[in-house]
Amino acid sequence: MPPTVKAKTKQVAQPHTKPHASSKKIHKTKFQADLAPSEDHMVRALKAELQMSSNSDFLTDALTLFRWAVSERKRGHRIVSESASGERKVLLFPRLERVAPEITLPHVDIRWTDKELGSLAELVSGQPAEPTEALVRAMRR
Amino acid sequence: MSVTIRRLEEFDEVANFDCGDEPLNNYLKRHAWTNQQKVSIGVTYIAVDESAPHSVLGYFTLATSSVPRDRFPKKFVRGLPPYDLPLILLARLAVDERFIGRGLGHALISEALKITVRVADEVGCRCIVTDAYPDKTGWYARYGFIPVEEAAVSGPQKMFLDVRTIRRALSFESSPEERE
Repeated sequence: MPPTVKAKTKQVAQPHTKPHASSKKIHKTKFQADLAPSEDHMVRALKAELQMSSNSDFLTDALTLFRWAVSERKRGHRIVSESASGERKVLLFPRLERVAPEITLPHVDIRWTDKELGSLAELVSGQPAEPTEALVRAMRR
Repeated sequence: MSVTIRRLEEFDEVANFDCGDEPLNNYLKRHAWTNQQKVSIGVTYIAVDESAPHSVLGYFTLATSSVPRDRFPKKFVRGLPPYDLPLILLARLAVDERFIGRGLGHALISEALKITVRVADEVGCRCIVTDAYPDKTGWYARYGFIPVEEAAVSGPQKMFLDVRTIRRALSFESSPEERE
């Protein structure tokens, strides 16, 4: 079962040294997560491995890593792990794939003769042709 | 045979690919990966079978291009939108001779046209063009590609397919009986 996360925002007055700073309050959001025993075990194990004591630090680091992964996929970059022997594995994480650009195609120059450009201009400015049967079948596939 | 079409990866097996045309074989074996990954001048999609998921059965390569508006002959410019013309180039499409007649060409062109529509939706493009071998123009014409200018006497023939036509084909995706 996926963990349940509740978020609660509260305003925290900061200790101040300057009188005019008293009106400034920092918004902090409190997360409360209901984890399955296996996930709780995983969090504890990771915290121990990373020598972290607080859940807050754990969440901050996880968030930093996740934000980096999202920004990389948003730019169309793949996230790859490479072993010492050069073997590569690409990370495929469905949620990250949602932010990846659908298609990235490079740009090339095509050589056109004047006659071809005239013909192309006529085709582009005219009415589109009706789709052929094979085209309809291709799009149905 | 259960065919999947996906982007070419570095360790896909291309060495045994043979479509009977040396330039097309050579492109896949020597240039496709470099062009895709290192110099970014074309993305190659391959057809593979589930039973041998790295062995290439067929492929096509796509790139984007554009024609600057001022390159069009003046007498045609008035009928065009006031911008450069964005388009997609279907640079290559080939099927291994051992798998001809199994609908792989249809599957590949189908995927190429679907990608074209997605690109048109995402960033805009007006048409897809290809340089077809003279003996293959009939095959492309079946899918609605129209020769650009008069047919070439020899050498490749530029062919054009309007994105609006492809979109119209999408609207026919289900027949009236199927819709009910």
